[in-house]
Amino acid sequence: MSCRLRLAVLSLLLVVPAALLFSGDVTGAAKQTLTAVYSKTAPAGLDDPQWAKIKALEVPFEGKEKFANKKTSVITKAIYTDEEIYFWFTWKDATLSVTKGAWKFDGQKWTPQAGDEDRLSLLFEISRINNFATKGCAVTCHVPQGAPNAKDGKFGTQSEAEKGDLWHWKAARSDPAGYADDGWLTKFSADKTGRRTDAGKGGDKRNMTEDKSKPRYMLAPGKKLGKHGILLAEDAVEITDDSVFKPGDVVTARMPVKAEGSYGDVKAVSRWADGAWTLMLSRKLNTGYEDDVAFDPRKKYNFAMALFDDSGDADSYDSETLTLEFKK
Amino acid sequence: MSEPYVMLEEEGRTPPPQDGLLCWLTRPRLPSETVCWHRFFGVLQLALIALLFLSGLLMAFSYTPVPGTAYDSVDYFQFSLPFGDIVRGVHHYAWNSLLIVMGLHLLRAFVVGAYKPPRHPVWLSGLLFLLLMPLFIITGDLLPWDQKGYWSTQVRFSIISSIPGLGDFMVQMLRGGGLTGIVTLTRFYVLHVLLLPAVLLGILALHLCLLARHGLSPPMDGQAPARPPIPLLPSGLNRFLLLLLAAMIALAAAAYFHPAPLGDPADPSDTSFVPRPEWWVLFLNQLVSIFKGPFTVVGSAVIPGGLILLLAALPWLDRSPDRRPSRRIGVLAAALVVLIAITVLSVMGYIEHFVRPEH
Repeated sequence: MSCRLRLAVLSLLLVVPAALLFSGDVTGAAKQTLTAVYSKTAPAGLDDPQWAKIKALEVPFEGKEKFANKKTSVITKAIYTDEEIYFWFTWKDATLSVTKGAWKFDGQKWTPQAGDEDRLSLLFEISRINNFATKGCAVTCHVPQGAPNAKDGKFGTQSEAEKGDLWHWKAARSDPAGYADDGWLTKFSADKTGRRTDAGKGGDKRNMTEDKSKPRYMLAPGKKLGKHGILLAEDAVEITDDSVFKPGDVVTARMPVKAEGSYGDVKAVSRWADGAWTLMLSRKLNTGYEDDVAFDPRKKYNFAMALFDDSGDADSYDSETLTLEFKK
Repeated sequence: MSEPYVMLEEEGRTPPPQDGLLCWLTRPRLPSETVCWHRFFGVLQLALIALLFLSGLLMAFSYTPVPGTAYDSVDYFQFSLPFGDIVRGVHHYAWNSLLIVMGLHLLRAFVVGAYKPPRHPVWLSGLLFLLLMPLFIITGDLLPWDQKGYWSTQVRFSIISSIPGLGDFMVQMLRGGGLTGIVTLTRFYVLHVLLLPAVLLGILALHLCLLARHGLSPPMDGQAPARPPIPLLPSGLNRFLLLLLAAMIALAAAAYFHPAPLGDPADPSDTSFVPRPEWWVLFLNQLVSIFKGPFTVVGSAVIPGGLILLLAALPWLDRSPDRRPSRRIGVLAAALVVLIAITVLSVMGYIEHFVRPEH
């Protein structure tokens, strides 16, 4: 090969790789990216060895309302297969909170216990939500009172074209049934929140009599209580005689309902141990439902998270918006 | 083409006269070196431009130049339409490759002294071509209406406005108002798909006409080319198509394995976004960083403009008729200094924007 020819071939070989090298993503914001790593096999659970091999992302959270000026963080990982995506989270939480107003019997009467539950929620864009990519939940959920898309604790997006996919893992109300509530977010109107539940069946059933003085259901004979002593709706039977209870007995006030259809798309496996929650959420990449975000591994997705530590909707720790990318 | 015709051509003999369109089409001759294994940067640029036009045309069918929907239309094209990711990727990698090939083409022309009379008009038309490319990139960058494009444009407006006298006027003309919005996007779109391509075709035609008139730069030893000329059709066209095909496959493969980036949708209220300069402007960006305050214009206009003027004036500055590099040590040494300075500034910019942890 002549010198000129070698030089020419070398030059050509340099052109495309150089263009590739230098023309990548040049966005410069300090936004965190969670990389979902491809795997041929689905993680079997929280302790699957695959999780240990994946680089973790520590996502900082800032407290709001009663958690104002407090900070926490969630270690996050993600794996995807040809069919599904798996998220793995762990965060410190000194107390297991699954009370959610459970009834306590003192021998005479029933009293709802003080205490809420631990929760983690994720919001993805089904279709583009204006400025969600940069401001995250600040433009959808945690909006200031008086904003055009929020009123009296209700919130949503500002147009029907903007839709979000809300995954809401609840330690007391969904986790014992093995899923995270799957909802979606649409336009807020003055008389109706923008939050919707996905099609199908799920959520929780209130366990109280019509006069709200005591629980209506108890564990059916032959059935066992679920995780953390939670009574599942499918295992409940109406209380006919209070004498079966003894002082100090506790009965679940919000009974998780077995999910069906799009409502139960997001499967959940969790563990609270040694002062920390570990949680795995999984879902099909594309469920085929319009109320779910369809993950295309070629794309990047914006999402944000909120953490609730034994608290209601207003009191949360919120993350900034993150980018979810897929890597084969 | 008939076999005897090819045989005659291969033997360097003139084929018998023919009549009709075929004859007319096959009559023009090209120097064999126009596109051959060791000299193809010029034609490769032509191939890349053809790919840019073709992929751009396909993208234009789906694009809407309105801030509220521009991003969605690009997203839809790239991820929802069949081969959208490949087409957009080809467009993206084609302009990146074009810049590199143009640089190499310029470097070669410089080293072999192709700018010397009588070929200096070819050199000057090539420089015009070079100057036009950044305008394409700058206008195209805003079109997806993503964070990178939006905030890069803001930075560019800021740099342009530092040019004394003309700067603010130019920004006003480009932006069309006080804020970068729908008027800006429309203007950039029109510039990118109508005005600039028309100018490009004009410059291209001028460059090719001048090339046809003055010819390729001959070998430096002054001897005539060893190979006989080739007919434009089909031999010249076949070589071009071969190069076009090779470039298309390479760029499509790049697009398949590394999809063209599409950042977050533009949020004009997100002042925390810091755009990183692209590779081809790293040295210019670094110049702007060095010369601050009232001296910004030195980095943004005086030095880059001076370099362009130097390149344009080169045929008159280097008057020696000898094109051999060994006889043009002074010019080559000066060019080497400039190249080293550009490289050092680019590396500094790369470290500042891509390596430092705060980014």
